[in-house]
Amino acid sequence: MTEKPKVGVYVCHCGINISATVDVDAVAEYAQKLPNVVVARTYSYMCSDPGQSLIKNDIRELGLNRVVVASCSPRMHEPTFRKAIREAGINPYFLEMTNIREQCSWVHEDKEEGTAKAKKLVKASVAKARLLEALESKEVDAEPAALIIGAGIAGIQAALDIADAGFKVYLVEKTPSVGGRMAQLDKTFPTLDCSACILTPKMVDCASHPNIELMSYSEVEKVDGFIGNFDVKVRKKARYVDFGKCTGCGDCAAECRVKDRIPSEFDQGMGKRSAIYLPFPQAVPAKYTIDPESCLFLTRGKCGKNPKCQEVCRAEAINFDQEDEIVEFKVGAIIVATGFDPFDASRKPEYGYADYPNVITGMEMERLVSASGPTGGKVKVFNSEEEIEPKEIAFINCVGSRDKSVGNEYCSRVCCMYTAKQAHLIRDKIPDANIRVYYIDVRAFGKGYEEFYDRVRRENIRYIRGNPSEIFKRGNKLVVKVEDTLTATPLEDEVDLVVLGVGLEPRADMRQVMDLLRLSQSPDRFFLEAHPKLRPVDTATEGIFLAGCCQGPKDIPDTVAQAKAAASSAMIPLARGKVMIGAQVATVNEATCRGCGFCVNICPYTAIELVTVNRFGNEVEVARVNEALCKGCGSCSAACLSDSIQPKSFRDRQILPQIAALGAMK
Amino acid sequence: MSADYEPNIVAFLCNWCSYAGADLAGTSRVHYPANVQVIRVMCSGRVNPLYVMNALQQGADGVLVSGCHPGDCHYMEGNFRARRRLGMLKSLMEFVGVDPRRFHMSWVSASEGHKWKEVVEKTVEDAREAGPFEGFRRQQIDW
Amino acid sequence: MNLGQLRKIAAEVVAREDVKYLIGWKQGSYGYRIAPGFVEDAAGAAELIFSPLCTANLATYLTLVEKLPVPRGQEADKRKVALMVKGCDSRAVTQLLVEKGIHRDEVVVIGCPCPGMVDPALLTEKYPETEETVEVKWSGDGFLLNRSGEEIKVPRDELLAEKCRLCRYPNPVISDILLGEAVEPWELAEDNGVAEVEGKDVGGRWDYWEEQFAKCVRCYSCRNVCPLCYCQDCILDRLNPTWVNRAVNFSENTSFHIARAFHLAGRCIGCGECERVCPVNIPLGRLNRKLAREVRDKYGFEPGVDPEAEPFQASFKPDDPGDFIL
Repeated sequence: MTEKPKVGVYVCHCGINISATVDVDAVAEYAQKLPNVVVARTYSYMCSDPGQSLIKNDIRELGLNRVVVASCSPRMHEPTFRKAIREAGINPYFLEMTNIREQCSWVHEDKEEGTAKAKKLVKASVAKARLLEALESKEVDAEPAALIIGAGIAGIQAALDIADAGFKVYLVEKTPSVGGRMAQLDKTFPTLDCSACILTPKMVDCASHPNIELMSYSEVEKVDGFIGNFDVKVRKKARYVDFGKCTGCGDCAAECRVKDRIPSEFDQGMGKRSAIYLPFPQAVPAKYTIDPESCLFLTRGKCGKNPKCQEVCRAEAINFDQEDEIVEFKVGAIIVATGFDPFDASRKPEYGYADYPNVITGMEMERLVSASGPTGGKVKVFNSEEEIEPKEIAFINCVGSRDKSVGNEYCSRVCCMYTAKQAHLIRDKIPDANIRVYYIDVRAFGKGYEEFYDRVRRENIRYIRGNPSEIFKRGNKLVVKVEDTLTATPLEDEVDLVVLGVGLEPRADMRQVMDLLRLSQSPDRFFLEAHPKLRPVDTATEGIFLAGCCQGPKDIPDTVAQAKAAASSAMIPLARGKVMIGAQVATVNEATCRGCGFCVNICPYTAIELVTVNRFGNEVEVARVNEALCKGCGSCSAACLSDSIQPKSFRDRQILPQIAALGAMK
Repeated sequence: MSADYEPNIVAFLCNWCSYAGADLAGTSRVHYPANVQVIRVMCSGRVNPLYVMNALQQGADGVLVSGCHPGDCHYMEGNFRARRRLGMLKSLMEFVGVDPRRFHMSWVSASEGHKWKEVVEKTVEDAREAGPFEGFRRQQIDW
Repeated sequence: MNLGQLRKIAAEVVAREDVKYLIGWKQGSYGYRIAPGFVEDAAGAAELIFSPLCTANLATYLTLVEKLPVPRGQEADKRKVALMVKGCDSRAVTQLLVEKGIHRDEVVVIGCPCPGMVDPALLTEKYPETEETVEVKWSGDGFLLNRSGEEIKVPRDELLAEKCRLCRYPNPVISDILLGEAVEPWELAEDNGVAEVEGKDVGGRWDYWEEQFAKCVRCYSCRNVCPLCYCQDCILDRLNPTWVNRAVNFSENTSFHIARAFHLAGRCIGCGECERVCPVNIPLGRLNRKLAREVRDKYGFEPGVDPEAEPFQASFKPDDPGDFIL
């Protein structure tokens, strides 16, 4: 370090966010007296243009070479201030931020305590700032390709956008067909477009797009690397059907020995399929798949004399010897679009979903009203043995949403509207039905939603404010027990059919994706975005983005908007062709390194290797860091007995003075 | 020890989970004692166990290290490594006679603002009970 | 063990072209003293001994002898070093292999099954050191001293070193040449030293160690003699950053000893050298043994027994104990 450190300290009021609990002037006055501090100032919003200019001017006029900004969390504005000081001509890593908002003013009430703590934190930051080193970020090439996990509407839209921009897309879908939940829906609120009609063309585009490599019935197994250079391993599960030969004629399914005996996932179990199946008629790719769990041949090794499907397939596409295939490729960005699970209504046992066949979920209702559904679009229920058209129909909103008892405090944002839509569809199909909707509040917040809700109410559909406490059977009828909270009237409402407006939940298998990509969850258990407002599609990991309901419940327009946002964010590194790699990487002092290799064992990214160097005529082994692979976690350093490997900006000689500063003053 | 004794706590928080969790506590305006000063590191695996000793020697009455829950580490396994190292350190310190209430380790995720508050309260309370740790203080003031 | 056989084999080994020298024990200049012998020829080999006084762990010389700069135009001497090891010493060699402190092809290990060493402190207490050298031998189940011509038989229990009472590996775990017959491992004694400290409450333990560490003169003998403290530039000597001040006082002494013991967690193989060389008798072995027991009992790991093992400090298990975590 040739240059003497000249530190400037900038204490932010953040309006009154900080100054209400921290005496910022006292902090600045205190900072002014700390060693190497040349100037200490306060300003109402340090992140604002004039605030940044204050810092920049001081760098130019006072020759500052280190800057401490005491304001919000570095997770918020570190990039902002790095950029500012770089513009003023000093290395962006000569910045140290002191978090006196999230971890001080907002969590302490006593101004004296808050001020004292802020002073100490500033002191520690100054102690570290003096010892910061200049770092240079390096650029490496970015692979002009993207991986999209999940091919529902979010994944499809993101894939199409990126592919249209000219980049390669690997679209990986777990189930045999793309389409996701949207493909299961009948009509969409509030415009009542047919869901399949607007989705199917996009599904087809996806399969035929020259830039999209669609991998259905496949799962991502492993992701390594970093933004611009992710190494991806995908398992293409065996379909037992030769993908190239299958013509999608369906002869196999028609002849399958367990035909119409396997509950169809697509029809929510209400319809039945064969063991060899197409999930739904418009499935893309239109290739059959053998379900290994229900196929007689695959489960028992025997299916009649010969498996029927094999006998009838003229294309000779059936291949029971097929094995899973592992595909590896490289991408520059990843979009997670894994979607949601509908709330499992049996977790609200008071509603009797598991006991009464005439209590169904909203998703089941979608299939029931769909012309392509198991009943051909006829809404019917069984009363004793007799099939009838229901006349008394009740919808219940907020099932599994806004409900602490099942751990879901959030609003699922779609149930009010899909309930209104389904009520409307039933009104069309059964004009004389008595339809009522039990609700807590109706949230019709989107474009055209309130208008649609209003229209539905005018269609003689009664909205009753009340959260039913119980559903039980009386004779042939279901009784909804509820209090109408607007009139304070207890009701026992006898109906033929109850539709539960189930909410949206994080997918049961999301843990797998979390582990794969090191993502975090927010308190609602959906994936956590980098910032709730300003970076809603980014994750904490550079180069990995979120789209659709995996980040939180959303309707289709919001999902599509988010997918497009994620696609455009993902395209930034792809279009630039280069990415900056972290400058805060580990570095080895080869003179003291003992070559023990602890760091090599520890590094989760295999970024460290032992190399032989010549030390005064002797061959010795020392550790060496591949800076492109190192992510700067510093785990190597904590195990290095000779302190020879150190993460830049978090070196022992930068942290120990911080500890001393925090310890010293009582 | 005097009733108004306020312990001085140094905490090492990983950037991705615990630091974010502490930020969330702030955003949610959860109030907790002001005794804990945080040093941000990228991963709990970065925390050299000797930092704990050093902090106690340099004036801390208690030390806290917090990282992501097992399996959630942003760097895959740094928290597992921290657990082994700091577990060993804890055994050693206890054997040497350092009150076990002076050192805690916790898992706090980015969504656990409330847990962060509880951890802080527990750490402060324990350090308060253990009292000032004057015996071990470094006998000079550097810079 | 037959001394003649030892010397013959040692002479053969040093005669090998690929061997630079052999490190063994030889009689010291007075009393019970034993000196390390760096043997390069048959004459040197004839001085070697192996007796109950050969407590020293010579493995430390494998790393202590620094690789000197090679003058321009010359080649580095890549010949092997031969080393005589007891059971505990062999574990040090194994641990060095694990940590790449040495490589297997750089060393010839001559294993000496060890019936147990005398504790030099106990010995001198009972039979004060003499000017002339004293020969000590194993005899039956005890030790035989030849002190100024007088033969004294001492029961094993009276003189056996503490580290040997607790030894689980009297036979070398690794060797290229094994001298003599393997010995039968004996029943382990209770670790009373560690138990004594553990029996105190937390304040009592602090007081105990305060008294011990306050004695420390920071001569660094414990570190220097340790076969596994082999960093050429120890962090505890460094000024930037300063982990431990050089001042000799209780605070700095304590952090020095905590750091030293911690660096050996999962690495210490229990040769007891640190404690033996301590001029002020700090029971350092208790610190090391406490950690070694934690490592063995809670983490299922024992250092220095498997040259292929993953180093304890550089590994983890998903089910490592975590009951102390909030």
